[in-house]
Amino acid sequence: MIELSILVFGILVLAATAWCPPRATRVLGALLFGLTLAVVLRFGLGVPVAVICGLLGASLTFRFFPLLVMRRVLFLVPALVLLIYATTLLMYRAPGNPFANERATTPQVEAALRAQYGVPKNASAFFGIYMRRLLLEGTLGPSIKVQGRTVEELIGPAFPVSVALGSLSLLIAVGMGLGLGILAGLRRNTAIDHLSMMLALVGVSLPNFVLGSAGMIVFALWLRWLPVAGWGSLRHVLMPAVALALPNAAIIARLARSGMIEVLQQDYIRTARAKGLPESWVVVRHALRGTLMPVVSFLGPAAAATMTGSFVVEVLFAVPGMGQWFVKGAINRDYSVVLGTAIVYFGLVILFNLLVDLAYAWLDPRLRSSGP
Amino acid sequence: MTMLRSLLSAFLVFAAALLVVGFTLSTSTGGRADLRVANGVEPKTLDPQLATGEPEYRLLSSIFEGLARLDARSLEPVPGVAESWDISADGKTYTFHLRPSARWSDGRPVTAEDFCYAWRRLQGPSLGSEYAYIMHMVRYAQAYNTHAAQAAALQGAIPAAAAELLEKYPGSIPAAAVLEFSAKQNLDTTLKGTTNEKLRSFLLRPVGDLAHAELSALPAQFALEGSRRAALFEEAQRHFGVDGGVYATDAHTLVVELVAPTPYFLELTTYYPLYPVPRWAIEKSSGRNWFLPDRIVSNGPFRMSEWRVGDHIRLERSESYWGRSAVKLRSIDVLPIENTTTSLNLYLTGDVDWLPQQAVPMDLAPDLRQRPDFFTGPAFIAYYYRINCTRKPFDDVRVRKALNLAVDREQIARDVMRLGQLPATHLVPPGIRGYKPPETAISYDVQQARKLLADAGFPDGRGFPKFGILYNTLESHKKVAEVLADQLRRNLHVEVAAYNQEWQSYQQSTRAMDYDLSRAGWIGDYEDPNTFLDLWTTNGGNNQTGWGSVVYDRLLAAAADVERFVAEPDFVLEHAHDSASLKRMADTARATTDVAQRLKSMSELRMALLAEAERILVHDEFPILPMYVYVTTDMVKPELKGFYSVLLGSDGTKRPNLRSIHPLRDVWVERDSPGESTPR
Repeated sequence: MIELSILVFGILVLAATAWCPPRATRVLGALLFGLTLAVVLRFGLGVPVAVICGLLGASLTFRFFPLLVMRRVLFLVPALVLLIYATTLLMYRAPGNPFANERATTPQVEAALRAQYGVPKNASAFFGIYMRRLLLEGTLGPSIKVQGRTVEELIGPAFPVSVALGSLSLLIAVGMGLGLGILAGLRRNTAIDHLSMMLALVGVSLPNFVLGSAGMIVFALWLRWLPVAGWGSLRHVLMPAVALALPNAAIIARLARSGMIEVLQQDYIRTARAKGLPESWVVVRHALRGTLMPVVSFLGPAAAATMTGSFVVEVLFAVPGMGQWFVKGAINRDYSVVLGTAIVYFGLVILFNLLVDLAYAWLDPRLRSSGP
Repeated sequence: MTMLRSLLSAFLVFAAALLVVGFTLSTSTGGRADLRVANGVEPKTLDPQLATGEPEYRLLSSIFEGLARLDARSLEPVPGVAESWDISADGKTYTFHLRPSARWSDGRPVTAEDFCYAWRRLQGPSLGSEYAYIMHMVRYAQAYNTHAAQAAALQGAIPAAAAELLEKYPGSIPAAAVLEFSAKQNLDTTLKGTTNEKLRSFLLRPVGDLAHAELSALPAQFALEGSRRAALFEEAQRHFGVDGGVYATDAHTLVVELVAPTPYFLELTTYYPLYPVPRWAIEKSSGRNWFLPDRIVSNGPFRMSEWRVGDHIRLERSESYWGRSAVKLRSIDVLPIENTTTSLNLYLTGDVDWLPQQAVPMDLAPDLRQRPDFFTGPAFIAYYYRINCTRKPFDDVRVRKALNLAVDREQIARDVMRLGQLPATHLVPPGIRGYKPPETAISYDVQQARKLLADAGFPDGRGFPKFGILYNTLESHKKVAEVLADQLRRNLHVEVAAYNQEWQSYQQSTRAMDYDLSRAGWIGDYEDPNTFLDLWTTNGGNNQTGWGSVVYDRLLAAAADVERFVAEPDFVLEHAHDSASLKRMADTARATTDVAQRLKSMSELRMALLAEAERILVHDEFPILPMYVYVTTDMVKPELKGFYSVLLGSDGTKRPNLRSIHPLRDVWVERDSPGESTPR
């Protein structure tokens, strides 16, 4: 009951950040930013330097950051705490625990393990231990199922792998999707349009493990051009990147097509054509910008999702990326791993949404002018 | 236009930078290893005293070495760190002579003290090792490992819970509450081996209501037992690993004292919980991560040079290993590939040389079976269903027997599993040396099953409550459960449905006895029937059926200490099925003066006692529904030599490689010779 009311209170606080007046937002945002900076830097630079950096950061952000960013910062810190708390509650509600084992363990052994890993039987107590560890010791805690390593030691090497794979796949997705979509939008209701939209439909409906398996059979087992699975060279990345990219490419193609069709009916396009500009100039100079808008807003969350890895594709191609930890953490009830991955994912979603906001302001001057 | 170009180039730069970051951090070093193994999962730990599981075994047996090691051809213990050993006439004292040439990878000699430290560590009450029990036949070990916590419970939580129970039920205490009390307080394991007669009779009482007076007498006994255990713990703490149980007489002589002669003790010393560990390295990293590549100090034929989680572990031949000239492989890559289809693809394209048990895709295995590089044989793993004996109508033995007779195990093995799995009429898998399986009542006999069900009050299945078959989510379990449900439906006309739960929920349901029938499997820890039979002791932690039998418990206790049983055969003799021959064997053992002869007849008696116990499970009581015996599956490239699926004992007998153990120390590669002559 207490846990529930804490949750409700947290949500109310989050909602309140949206109504916070500009002046208070600036002050609170700058304070939180400086505090976060100091807490993070403390481990690398020592307390005095970190405090100075925090103060400096706070005053600089207060002075120069746009209100949009400040609002995000103000939202971010309580949201992160709430995320950790809610996830902890959910984890503890799930049946089982990290120490459950097929073999019966004595209560003494379990108690010893719980003490050693800092996993008490009570969710709120765990939340306390976890937050203390996070803030005071700067660690995401020990993993229970991969012993001898902390969560950051697990995620640390896996994250760049997923980012490399994810960014390559995003690149492929954007290239393919935009190409097909723009072409389809320009040649509406022609064979090209139908063909590319059919491809898009296939891409959306076929799960990436089917595409991956098919690619594996053709390129690895039959043609022997690419290795079956593993990690270490560009040859290893190609197939999983394409498998990850195709569904996104399909969505981007559909968005770009409808965006292009919509833009081409706008008045300013008619004006551009009327003043005698060549069609290619009209498309590139005037239509493309509007076409990109829906794609960009899709890319934000998609980038976060892609860069945190896909469990299915990683398992299929034996890629040592992030995706496995989302699933393994949950399956093993490895509480610290679950929270660690949640925090990373949360951070990425926030980061990419911020990038999307900035890109929007860049693409659409109207949004820029309504800024701070 | 400029904006677009900059957007595009920004994206490109961004992606390229991230790609570079990814690669610099993640490319693996070194060329292809001599041997690449698909190891199924990432090892949870490589601390010998904390590890469990087969993938860990393959790694640990390569980087560490125990007193003895397993010979690849026979899987019998041969000299490892110890170059020889003497066993006392009564079979209870082992003296190991360590080879002076045995070295740790940092150059220090492997000494007897290293073993004392490791074994004391294994039994340490605060380490929480799951495998500590495996060494409890060593003097002081059990007391040091368990008695401190037990004493605390006996003097605190247990009497408190008993008092609560007394208060709640002023009359007699219902059976269910007694069971819950026993299970919650873990009484069975806590009181194991007590000499207190009152507690013993409480422990061994049949399931049923408990008189108020009987329970109110107990707290005093708990306290008594508690202080006895506290004293035993203190004694063990003083002596174990110092001058009793296990101790060093000099740097290269280790003495081990056992509580009772244990025929498989030498084999145990080849098992990883008993490996020596480097005290200095462990203490330097506070025991936490000393087994990571940059810190580990080991004494086996290989050393670990790299461990990338989710990618690979690289082992390299150790230059400090005493027998390095016999080690042929220079390097081994151990890959934690969880998807078995991916493992198979890697094997087919030559990226992996060996697919052990967990790495072969089971649904494709029947088709792969025809290949010459596919090896299969019986395994030391049982597949069965637990029956919840606390629920009606399964508390009726006729119902349990009817279920057992209504299952066509042939069909399941032949049509569902399709790999030559043996339909199980027993719990203990066949193939144990010296063990003669008891008579069983389990067969496929629908007529008798229907008659039994009618006798139990459900003629033609009428009135039989609808029940469920629980299994943990996995395709192959699902197939078996569905076929089983179908067979029961058709043969007994009962309403039954199979349902699945994710692993943790399934374990919780089984442990809380919230099921009717529940799937289970058990891998034998050592080659002895006891590893399967001690699951079913009354209220045992792994029992989880609610079934219990005093005679069964006594039979196992007698088998654990045959010497005592020979001296004073207790009441089980009257209840045993073949009491005449048990008595004869006990008399023979008592009368024999020749020590070796006496040991031999005692070990025969021990097996006979265990067979008697198994008879209760499969002939009389049926708390379980045995289904089939697993098979081992390995795929091994022909150029890999030193893999044996049929073992050749030192006495010339052949037997299957039940646990599919292949010591990598003795494996070698002949990549250039296509013709092969090595026996497998």
